[in-house]
Amino acid sequence: MKEFFIEGLQQFFNYSGFANCEWGNLIMIVVGLIFITLAITKEYEPMLLIPIGFGIILGNIPFTDGLQVGVYENGSVLNYLYFGVLKGVYPPLIFLGIGAMTDFSALISNPKLILIGAAAQCGIFAAYAASLALGFTPMEAGAIGIIGGADGPTAIFISSKLAPSLMGAIAISAYSYMALVPVIQPPIMRLLTTPKERLIRMRPPRAVSHREKVMFPLLCILLTAFLVPTGLPLLGMLFFGNLLKESSVTKRLANTASNALIDIVTILIGLTVGCSTQASTFLKVESILIFVLGAFSFVIATACGVLFVKLFNLFLKEGNKINPLIGNSGVSAVPDSARVSNVEGLKYDKTNFLLMHAMGPNVAGVIGSAVAAGILLSFLY
Amino acid sequence: MNIKYRILALCIVLLGSVSLFGQQVTDLRLNEMLVVNDSNYVDEYGRHVPWIEIFNTSYNQVNIAGCYLTDDTTGLSVGDASRWYRIPTTDPTTWIPQRSSKVFFLDNSPLYGTYHTNIDPNTSANHYVALINSNGKTLIDIFVYPEALLTSAQSYGCYDDGINTKVENGKKVKNMGMLPYATPGSVNKVQVGATKSEHLQKSDPHGIGLAVISISVVFAALIMIFLMLKIFGYTATRKDRKAKKEQAADVPAATANVPANEVGPTGEELAAITLALHLFFNSQHDEESEIITIDMPSKHYSPWSQKNLVMKKVVRRR
Repeated sequence: MKEFFIEGLQQFFNYSGFANCEWGNLIMIVVGLIFITLAITKEYEPMLLIPIGFGIILGNIPFTDGLQVGVYENGSVLNYLYFGVLKGVYPPLIFLGIGAMTDFSALISNPKLILIGAAAQCGIFAAYAASLALGFTPMEAGAIGIIGGADGPTAIFISSKLAPSLMGAIAISAYSYMALVPVIQPPIMRLLTTPKERLIRMRPPRAVSHREKVMFPLLCILLTAFLVPTGLPLLGMLFFGNLLKESSVTKRLANTASNALIDIVTILIGLTVGCSTQASTFLKVESILIFVLGAFSFVIATACGVLFVKLFNLFLKEGNKINPLIGNSGVSAVPDSARVSNVEGLKYDKTNFLLMHAMGPNVAGVIGSAVAAGILLSFLY
Repeated sequence: MNIKYRILALCIVLLGSVSLFGQQVTDLRLNEMLVVNDSNYVDEYGRHVPWIEIFNTSYNQVNIAGCYLTDDTTGLSVGDASRWYRIPTTDPTTWIPQRSSKVFFLDNSPLYGTYHTNIDPNTSANHYVALINSNGKTLIDIFVYPEALLTSAQSYGCYDDGINTKVENGKKVKNMGMLPYATPGSVNKVQVGATKSEHLQKSDPHGIGLAVISISVVFAALIMIFLMLKIFGYTATRKDRKAKKEQAADVPAATANVPANEVGPTGEELAAITLALHLFFNSQHDEESEIITIDMPSKHYSPWSQKNLVMKKVVRRR
């Protein structure tokens, strides 16, 4: 009886997390707690960092294999939820919600701002070249490069296709840098602009008609999808969501897409991406390199956006010039990078509100990063 | 009467299950065959013997047990299976997963195991192998091979797994032939040479080419949208411009000479006036809320935090 009792306890202990715990799990749990703390105390992207942080904790609770509880174990609940990430189901649904939330008026009224969104995609390809130089395969390099697009769903979508083994590190890196946009971008913006340039006042945007708003998603999907069909899942859903919003006859659908649906998918994607960072698969030298390359691509993307505006201004008449402080908004971290432009602009002129102007390149960045993702897929997949 | 209905229902269920099984088995195809096996697939006895591959074209797993393999279909119409090789029904490994295959040895040694048949293509009078359903009457697939296969070191089979015919120029043609690689138990269409990614790594080791092309395509896509929006803007504001022109033409000569800033209030002035009016009308109030409190209402209201709702009420005696 005594032996049975001791054996039973021993068996129970062997099944517990304490017996299976490794240093890696503890480190990752601390990382998860830091994410949650940053989200609550600093309010850095709480909608993303809280699910991801909690997911990291869940994914790193040690357990015995075969219990069908881990995210990588076939048949477990987390594995079923992770299917949406692995097969690229969630990112297009998030794009549907983004489309239903985004107002493209700023872009329609001042179309030249769209080119800033294109320039900021240089970060993706600079990181791609840097990753190749560091010894990653072209497919892995493509997946790492997309971090520079500053678009979490796109990064997950591309890495699920090109480098599923690196998806956890790529997604965490992309979302972390998106949360750190207010920290990373301002020094680069200040470094690359003169005090005079920061004071440039832009012409107020014109009013945009309902017809223009309805035609925009239809024509955009036709133009971009014909050019890059591989970007169809992301671009299609983005513009479909926008059509739901702008058509003004599908308010209920637009409302669901921009509220309930995107919230549900954000919860699932954040939690399962966090879970996928099990210490055994995440704590590797590659993950550190991915974080370094992610930061590099963010810096290049921001710098390219700002420098492109300065170059563009050389060809624009006085009165039509663009404030280079909105150049950073070309990365598609909506609306954080546009907010950074506005905050920086107000530091030098308290009446110069750049938010509406910065939203133009910001949403152009969403389109640009989806197009860039499509190109990478067509070359590498 | 009731029993009759029950028997009828049972018969329908049995019939349905049989037809369902048949329907699944019909998804099987004889996919690839090799006769001169000098250095290819080895059986569990270490022998190089001829083999044939059966491919499951469906997206469900199929049990091949009970089906027949033969090189002589005589007796098919009457269901005479006495000379055919029957795949054992007692072996659990006879399930073929979706889009997968099983290899059977054509070594005329049916006693060697489930996957060893009584067929030997080297001594067979017919140049075909047939797969017949467990009822002994339904031909699932027939694999006709050329005589050249008996002397060739190459295998013969479908170019695309499970697809033995295709339509070309409106005509149905054979999709079979000598295959460059013998692939027992795996897909026939093997990828030879470098993948897209490997090819790219060779031709563009530093990624500069891809970066330049990609940036150009991104710019091209967004320039197209830019041009489209420009045209949009032009057509959308055409009416406004027309109206402005007409308005300008109607303005008397005397007022036309007045400087623009004296014609009327500017947008900013109008905004300031509107704001002032808004503040004026909204700041006037005669009635106070009459609520005096020093406690802020709870931010996180929830019925769970309401004492009167969660506490057990004391029963009062009357």
